[in-house]
Amino acid sequence: MAIIEQPAPVGAPALPAAPTPTRTYGALRRPVATTGWKSWVFTVDHKKLGIMYGVVAMFFFIVGGIEALLIRLQLAAPNGKVLSADVYNQMFTMHATTMVFLFVMPMAAAFANYFIPLQIGARDVAFPRINAFGFWTLVGGGIIVNLSWFLGGAADGGWFMYAPNSGPVFSPSHGVDFWALGLQITGIASLTGAINLIVTVLNMRAPGMSLMKMPVFTWLQLVVQFLLLFAIPVITVALFLLSFQRNFGATFFDVSAGADPLLWQHLFWIFGHPEVYVLILPSFGIISEVLPVFSKKPLFGYPFVVFSGAAIGFVGWGVWAHHMFASGLGPVSVAVFSIATMAIAIPTGVKIVNWTMTLWGGKLRFTAAMHFAVGLIVLFTIGGLSGVTHSVAPSDTQQTDTYYIVAHFHYVLFGGAIFGLFAGFYYWWPKMFGKQLNERLGKANFWFMVIGMNLTFGPMHMIGLQGQPRRMYVWTEARAGEGFFNIAFWNMVASIGAFILAFGVLLFLINVFKTTRSKEVAPLDPWDARTLEWMTTSPPKEHNFDAIPTVHHLDEFFHRKYEQDPNTHEMKQVATAEDILREQEANADKHIHMPSPSYWPIVLAGGLPVIALGIIYSIPVAIVGAAIVVLALFGWSLEPSTAPDSDFDPPASGDGTKELAPLG
Amino acid sequence: MPTSVRRFVAGAAGLSAVALLAGCAKNAPQDTWQPKGPNAQKIDDLQKPVFAIAGIVGLIVFAAVAYAVFRFKDRGQPIPEQTHGKPVLEIGMTILPALLLAGIGVFTFRTIFDLAKTDDTEMVINVTGQQWWWEYDYPVQTDYGITNPIITSGQLVIPTGTKVLLRETSRDVIHSYWIPALNGKRDAVPGRVHYLRLEADKPGIYAGQCTEFCGLSHAVMRMEAVALDKADFAAWVKGQLELADSPAEGTLAKEGESVFLNQCVRCHQVNGLKKADGSPAIAAPEENVWSGAAPNLTHLMTRNTFAGASWDLLTKECRKDVWEAPGGEFGKKYLAGVTEECLNQTDLRRWLRNAPAMKPMYADPTKLGPTDGKYRGMPNLGLSEDDIDKLVAYLATLK
Repeated sequence: MAIIEQPAPVGAPALPAAPTPTRTYGALRRPVATTGWKSWVFTVDHKKLGIMYGVVAMFFFIVGGIEALLIRLQLAAPNGKVLSADVYNQMFTMHATTMVFLFVMPMAAAFANYFIPLQIGARDVAFPRINAFGFWTLVGGGIIVNLSWFLGGAADGGWFMYAPNSGPVFSPSHGVDFWALGLQITGIASLTGAINLIVTVLNMRAPGMSLMKMPVFTWLQLVVQFLLLFAIPVITVALFLLSFQRNFGATFFDVSAGADPLLWQHLFWIFGHPEVYVLILPSFGIISEVLPVFSKKPLFGYPFVVFSGAAIGFVGWGVWAHHMFASGLGPVSVAVFSIATMAIAIPTGVKIVNWTMTLWGGKLRFTAAMHFAVGLIVLFTIGGLSGVTHSVAPSDTQQTDTYYIVAHFHYVLFGGAIFGLFAGFYYWWPKMFGKQLNERLGKANFWFMVIGMNLTFGPMHMIGLQGQPRRMYVWTEARAGEGFFNIAFWNMVASIGAFILAFGVLLFLINVFKTTRSKEVAPLDPWDARTLEWMTTSPPKEHNFDAIPTVHHLDEFFHRKYEQDPNTHEMKQVATAEDILREQEANADKHIHMPSPSYWPIVLAGGLPVIALGIIYSIPVAIVGAAIVVLALFGWSLEPSTAPDSDFDPPASGDGTKELAPLG
Repeated sequence: MPTSVRRFVAGAAGLSAVALLAGCAKNAPQDTWQPKGPNAQKIDDLQKPVFAIAGIVGLIVFAAVAYAVFRFKDRGQPIPEQTHGKPVLEIGMTILPALLLAGIGVFTFRTIFDLAKTDDTEMVINVTGQQWWWEYDYPVQTDYGITNPIITSGQLVIPTGTKVLLRETSRDVIHSYWIPALNGKRDAVPGRVHYLRLEADKPGIYAGQCTEFCGLSHAVMRMEAVALDKADFAAWVKGQLELADSPAEGTLAKEGESVFLNQCVRCHQVNGLKKADGSPAIAAPEENVWSGAAPNLTHLMTRNTFAGASWDLLTKECRKDVWEAPGGEFGKKYLAGVTEECLNQTDLRRWLRNAPAMKPMYADPTKLGPTDGKYRGMPNLGLSEDDIDKLVAYLATLK
């Protein structure tokens, strides 16, 4: 909501409701609701958008989780009958697509949106309307991808969608069309989001916050946004080629017309490998915040964590062909990519050392968030080490496309990325909602997830090394073997583990439900935290900070609370979070101008799925969609991003303006 | 939390123990840790030390985390000094893994190039993947008595101790050829030819499976490599070069031959089969199947499996007898083929009755628009039980 207000201390008499614009700017009258669904749908507030990203991502986590459970039901016993071959192939394709594009990426975006401005002491992101547009585009893309379930079957070519199996001859349903166009749309969300956050981080940091005083979460998210900026265009090209092949008769992957199917593999993995780091680095960032807070120590080797993150961002571009060691690239390429893949283990290993050393000599408090963070170190190490075993290309030719790989990347992505996100939930929940998730339930949540995840994915190492390939809708007892490594036994264990894991996730949802209904308010600084986002109210006010803080230290907030006694060298508390907040409120900035809500982002985003449906079913519909997009672009450009003062009644009463956040 | 770490450490130790055990138990036929030929052996020699190193590094990390978690738990100790790291340790911990990986890299490099060699080849076999079976085409190689090309499917037969080079390609989508006991996998990509070295030390059957997702029935696209000693291989070649004999007049098999001529020969070639007018019956799979190929059935009963090596032609007992025969006897037993009393009639009949019900295929005539009416896989031929009896009798003669 665009507001011009004089921030008041918490508990002070409420100010008059936010002033309402009386004049219309642009083609549509500005939305003005401050409560109810309209205040969410038309919002440009990074915090509301962050929460909405989170809700949508959580919904798709449940969808992807149900898909996973169906897969495990089918594979629990030989010759499974739960799913047909056709439906199974759709199921594993959509499980991966959903988890990667519609859960982990949006959930990381939720945290990025919510916390990057808070961590750098900004009042919003650089382009708030583009931020809203990105969110609604993600929703549109997610709907298109999943709509296929109800319109003749989902995509069935695997999330890697290798040509020519993805072509119209081999996948005759519309599933792949929905998939390609839906991901194209979510790609727009990622790309605009990346540009927005890069500009935000580089331009809008609080005074004094040099890059090397920036919180690690923001740092690693910055690396992620650069990865997205360069990776998304590659998948965009690939998806365009695929869509043109399927919908307009192009022959990019048609071997009889002279195409080479390896073109798709290169395009997909040039995107796909950086994508892996897009998924994991935000979680690395989260636990790099959580571990220091609960160890009461700064992150060990902050510059090493930052630079190793950046190194991963660079080297991550040179390893894509390790997904193709069996594709027949020739020994020179294989050797080069094999060595490059080993090299990327080094900056990753550095992080493990730094996290462990952060714990070392600390004062460790084992909250639920800390459980997930330490869990990540251990589980990710397992995934990382199995990764080293298949960076050895000849060894990988035995392991690739078997369950060993499934085990590997689930340790990396579930044990790594998802455990990191859960650490983030428990750590930041009080900040986002002013209420604390139940810690006991949180620890139960952790234990069920950690046991379930190890029972599910641990045995897959064995199943894979015993030669069971991936993506099989049935497996046969004839190839199951006997004794300890019997594939049948371990498949059953993996399926049971999946349900234990699902129960763990259910406990989280119960925790959220209970916490939402509870009236108990969280303390202002429940974890004795270290970074700027904790230097404001919980949840933060719309303008985040009454006064933009000036930063002198890495871990600024901690250093405002604690000082080292020059004689004894002991850390002593000199201020509480409440003191610091009071001081901030006393020196509140006088004239804070926030970006105004707008109808245009959702209208523009709404045009894209219409185009997609039109391409699949009927071109005139696509033209309607394109018209919506073009008109919305005009409406958007004509509307000032921030309603001018004269647009409000009463006009601003503040003395002089203090525009701190360059909002546009 | 401490218990969690203890559990992880125990788990990791367990995993390493498991890794060591893998050599002894009676494992799955596609076990990747039981090399049966020099190529797979090279991979194994490389991967075992790497697994061991990874296991040791893992144990060190878990031990360090476990120690930190126990030792530095909050017991009311003062807030630690706000130190920001120790560059010497950091740099050390960067260089150490780099050196370790450089060591692994050297051996990896060597193995990659060793396994890519093609100039020491002693025998060439063309391998073609299509949905959802493999075709083997032995070009003329008189050294091995292959005086005419041999075309077979499902089971790849090779002589022991011979450096075989597979030339792989595909007729439709990407498949991947993988016999874990003999070598790693290599994709068969349409429009490209890829090489894979294969060599078996001892006679026997080595299981494998297509490992690149290739559509609907990817899960039931299997194969076996059968290694025979050189004398047995020569005998096998001799058998494969023979034409099929027409069954004697008046037998059930003879009636089956005419069912075959009416139905099956549209796609399946039987070398030597003649039409009623005495002209040779030539299959035209390219007119009926999208990939343009169907298995050549001339010597069906010399193979142990059918339909993409997914079902047995041998009954359970006979299969055990052949597959688990000791090295010396294996060749003779395999060469005996599928005798009448050993024929697994149940699965063969089920297949003839309705193939797509056993192995999902694009065989619904109403949904073949994208392929111009061509099937992907075998359709349900709607054969009567009578015809099935006759066909089985005929197929049993294809030795």
